[in-house]
Amino acid sequence: MKSKFLFPYWCRYLGWGLVILHVPLSMFGRSHGMVNVLDKPSTGLFTGEHLFFIYTSLVMVSGLFLAAFSREKVEDEQIWQVRLDSLRWAIFVNYVVLIISLVFIEDVGHMLDLNLYVPLVFFIIRFRWVIYRLNRSLSREG
Amino acid sequence: MKNNIRVERAIKNITQGELAEQVGVSRQTINTIESNKYVPSTILALKIARVFGKALEEVFILEDGD
Repeated sequence: MKSKFLFPYWCRYLGWGLVILHVPLSMFGRSHGMVNVLDKPSTGLFTGEHLFFIYTSLVMVSGLFLAAFSREKVEDEQIWQVRLDSLRWAIFVNYVVLIISLVFIEDVGHMLDLNLYVPLVFFIIRFRWVIYRLNRSLSREG
Repeated sequence: MKNNIRVERAIKNITQGELAEQVGVSRQTINTIESNKYVPSTILALKIARVFGKALEEVFILEDGD
């Protein structure tokens, strides 16, 4: 099965590297007085705070993106099906969360944060969980 | 749908891993097909039948509920 639009296998490690890198980056920024632009009134585009927001979010999102959409070692039709199924779930959960937060959360700014991360994080968790279960059933049967 | 992959493998004396390699999928996929948890695509089913040198219907059998 040919699977297009996937990054090479090693991109997964690059992705997790970026996600981990995001932590000290934002801690460093915060210790130097930067705050998330979503936490305060707008100061305009490309100010220090806006740039800080861009680079931390960008590092985190592109990390998750690479981790989610990199090829498996053996990429076959079953993995492809698990991938599609997990994506369907991720979109479903994302919209349930979004609809609930539309009704119950006043702070629209943080809904961007939510919408940015929920599909990718949920996709990765669900995808990895199914693959873990497949591997476990394999090792049980020997 | 049920299948005779386990029996055919025993006849041909190959492991799940070897069959997986010959048809170009992971061992997990062969394992889940054997235990009827995953229904393969037509292409994969044909490839598996070809490895055993049998007709498709001899390896994969349609059941009443399908």
